[in-house]
Amino acid sequence: MSDPSRRSSIGGLAAGSAASAAGCAADEEAHDHHNAPSNPYLERRRSPEETAALEERVRKLENLMTQKGLVSKEGLEKIIDIYENDLGPMNGAQVVARAWVDPDYKTRLLEDATEAIRELGFGGMQGEHMVVVENTPSVHNVVVCTLCSCYPWPVLGLPPNWYKSAAYRSRVVIDPRGVIGEFGLELDDSVEVRVWDSSAEIRYLVLPERPEGADGLNEEQLAELVTRDAMIGVSKIPLRSA
Amino acid sequence: MSDSIEQLTDQAISNMPGIEGLPRRNGELVFHDDWKRRVFALAVSLCEQGQYQWDEFRDHLIAAIAAAGETPENPKPGAPGYFEHWLESFEKILEEKGLLSVDDSLTQSDD
Repeated sequence: MSDPSRRSSIGGLAAGSAASAAGCAADEEAHDHHNAPSNPYLERRRSPEETAALEERVRKLENLMTQKGLVSKEGLEKIIDIYENDLGPMNGAQVVARAWVDPDYKTRLLEDATEAIRELGFGGMQGEHMVVVENTPSVHNVVVCTLCSCYPWPVLGLPPNWYKSAAYRSRVVIDPRGVIGEFGLELDDSVEVRVWDSSAEIRYLVLPERPEGADGLNEEQLAELVTRDAMIGVSKIPLRSA
Repeated sequence: MSDSIEQLTDQAISNMPGIEGLPRRNGELVFHDDWKRRVFALAVSLCEQGQYQWDEFRDHLIAAIAAAGETPENPKPGAPGYFEHWLESFEKILEEKGLLSVDDSLTQSDD
């Protein structure tokens, strides 16, 4: 049942649209999470010899710091593990997939998201409450932070540049349908669009609709379908078209 | 208490909004080489321990990137690249805080 083309079609949906959506044509991610040429900013640029010299320089620095008791191997490994594996959209994707397969979990998630998300081991919010808002055939939710760039980082990782742009922050409130349309998602006029403004106290996460035709997928496979943009509410997990 | 310092650090890192923002794809960090991963963790580790404020490190990073004149919107493939600026900024703050002499590190013998 797993359909490899589905993954790329999700990427394709976001393609070319994120850049124009918030007027930030140069967002490196807009060029980077689909099939367009990748941005040189994100590419390796040193020769193998130069890289080896840098590896050596950092290794010596780390050794000396370890000798002085400033850092420990274990501590560093833990940080790397947290930033590479624990922070990021895959956490949010696991929350969404669990909610799709487990109605009781979904109920808890919508009632007290902070606690339900912690159940899966994703904590680290400090004083902020998580609120999960559910997309349905008649209601579409989208998240913004009009004041700055508040973002549910334990479940979504680092915010994309367009999320932080002044253009997105101001325009999505005034014309959410238009902005979402620029991301490539045309919402029917009958769909109510709700805009959620994050704050220091409350962080929002969108629970996207479960795609139709994904019945044969297990929780892990479902999580792979979930994109960051869908959890912000500027795209959907595509429904199977035929 | 160390928990709350770590959490504050996480937020400070995830909220770097300008040219100093970490290179990433779909929200996830991009480390091409192991040294980038290591030096990232070194800087985060010392901040978590309260050796400096994240802003102090960040200011060095911004200055280094600005001096190179590169932004995500305007990449310069010949420029040193983000994590070399990070390394340079980290060495600066180590010296500044008297935590380590970088010369010592470069001349140390392996044992």
